[in-house]
Amino acid sequence: MLVGLASVLAAGALGLAFGAPTTGPIVGGYFTVDATARLFLALVNSVFFGIAAYVHHRERALPELRPEALRFATWSAPFIVAADVVVLSNHLLLAWLALEVTTLAAAPLVTRPRSPTSVRASFRYFLFSSVGLGIALLGLLCLERALELDAGRATFFLGDLAGRTRVLSSLWGRVGVVLLVLGYGTKFGLAPMYSWLPETYDQAPPATAALLASVQSNLALVCLLRVLEVQRTVHRDFVAAELLFVGLASMGVSAFSIVATRNFKRLIAYAAVNHAGVIAIGLGIGGSASYGVLLYVVSNAFIKAILFLTAGKIESHYRTKDAHGIRGLIRDLPYSGVFLMVGTFALLGFPPFGSFLGELLILAGLIQAGQIVVFVLFCTFIAMTFVAMGRTIFPMIWGLPVREVAWPRQTAASAAPKWVFLAALVAMGIYLPAPVNDLFRAVARSLGGP
Amino acid sequence: MSGLLIAFVLVLVVPLFVATWRTSLLGLALQGALMTAIAFRHGLHLSVHALPELVDLVVVRTLLTPALLRHALRLRHAGPRNDVIPPNLLSWTVALALVVAAFRVAAVLVPAEGDPQTLVGVATAGVLLGLLVLATRSSPISEVVGALRVENAVALFELGSLGHRGVGLRLSQSTITLITVVYFARYLRALHGVTGAEPEGESAPAPESGRASL
Repeated sequence: MLVGLASVLAAGALGLAFGAPTTGPIVGGYFTVDATARLFLALVNSVFFGIAAYVHHRERALPELRPEALRFATWSAPFIVAADVVVLSNHLLLAWLALEVTTLAAAPLVTRPRSPTSVRASFRYFLFSSVGLGIALLGLLCLERALELDAGRATFFLGDLAGRTRVLSSLWGRVGVVLLVLGYGTKFGLAPMYSWLPETYDQAPPATAALLASVQSNLALVCLLRVLEVQRTVHRDFVAAELLFVGLASMGVSAFSIVATRNFKRLIAYAAVNHAGVIAIGLGIGGSASYGVLLYVVSNAFIKAILFLTAGKIESHYRTKDAHGIRGLIRDLPYSGVFLMVGTFALLGFPPFGSFLGELLILAGLIQAGQIVVFVLFCTFIAMTFVAMGRTIFPMIWGLPVREVAWPRQTAASAAPKWVFLAALVAMGIYLPAPVNDLFRAVARSLGGP
Repeated sequence: MSGLLIAFVLVLVVPLFVATWRTSLLGLALQGALMTAIAFRHGLHLSVHALPELVDLVVVRTLLTPALLRHALRLRHAGPRNDVIPPNLLSWTVALALVVAAFRVAAVLVPAEGDPQTLVGVATAGVLLGLLVLATRSSPISEVVGALRVENAVALFELGSLGHRGVGLRLSQSTITLITVVYFARYLRALHGVTGAEPEGESAPAPESGRASL
């Protein structure tokens, strides 16, 4: 049933994204299907469909997983509906409420049966989400205060906020935007409040980790993009410095953490913090980097889904998360070995993947903007991440198996969602069909791109 | 309204120095009660339109939040002592400095002296002290109290707004607050005996110990 819902939503989202463009707010102005909504609607629903298909296959292959699959379906159905509301929302408070609902639906999914540490991780996830979203709400209220002082009437509709120079330039308006960036940044996994993320992604079941990393983080990003879209109609560079700072801080802490850990699930989680940093830097630069940011965002949604689903499978088989305890993966679990290898290459920004092109455009944007110090630090952190990830992950893939265990053969069907994600990743690095490219360009323009 | 706001500051500060969870929960209840009184002073009238706000302040924040948390803590037989922040001179100084800083910030944001400035100062102090409690995070109950302090401070700030949003949005906000508290209470019960995050445990077995996972 979850696969049915996911397929209907994915088909509808793709139809809306690449069908006849609808402009202007709908349903009393509370929703919009602008370029940003269409791109992220297609992305989150496609990824969700892949995750639902994966869960369906796992349940069919291992009937003992039925209760877990049922629980996943029960909570992820309201999650994805609320996620679509976030993406389609034309009202900042409505988007905030829907993002809260996704958190309430996701928190129970983080726990695993009979695993107290996963309960602790779920608690930390929920706690940080509550505080982050509380700070974001405070930001919204500051914006409301700025509007009241300007016109005596508050509104959270995006169209009414855009271009309100006096409101967005006022002290209340500026404080509001900063708090919104901090609050949604927490949900997105940006420093300083990122510490929930590695623990949560590490402890959560793989399907949940993929759901949080590939779907929910993009919902927080959509909220952030909405704020930046409004803000940039008035002050193009107001939050640029803040975004560059939190972006670099996130990349820095993740690079050092990746060096220090041997737990491969945590490695991928820290890489997610690194990605959040890269995206924040790209958003801070804006302009020509905007297109690169979008390529990077979409690529990373697929990469993280592939890697978390694969990491879960590896963890289940080897009963360890220690990278040193796993060798010869390509022989033992050929599909998982290939996905881990290709996913890691994509994660590290190798060609021909979309993440390579995205990262290149962000770096070019940094040079164009004259941000040489940021460029140097960016390259340093990327190099550290590259070496540390390679040092830990690649020995897992090649070499002789540490212990010989006879696994049941993996079927091609079980890997189908990951193959589709991989195909999308490669396509984004080599050739984007014109409608997809047009959609990327339209969203980039709304962020100040050419 | 100044008297109510000063009382609110006391309710924010005193539980930091009295190391029992009952005081913390009483503090949360009093915050809800004071916010209700402030809302009435701010022009809230008993009407159908005011119902969502009243439910949020009286039922959710004043009554249900402390009751649900108390129930959870009693079920896990929690000991009476609970330091919300570390009991040392440095923490106490930082806490008091944050209150002073909050009022300085309020003076910049609202230059005219009076109740609006005080309200912004008290709400800012609430957020900063909540974050301080979270940053020191000594136990799950302290973390929950810290998060709820931030939520209450945001709600107090909201009282100073002139805006009247739709009943639907208001009710949704209250419902989410209530569900959040229910979740926190469930976590407090479930976390009984789980004192900290799992160590990196590089070679630790997967939690399912041989069982497959989704």
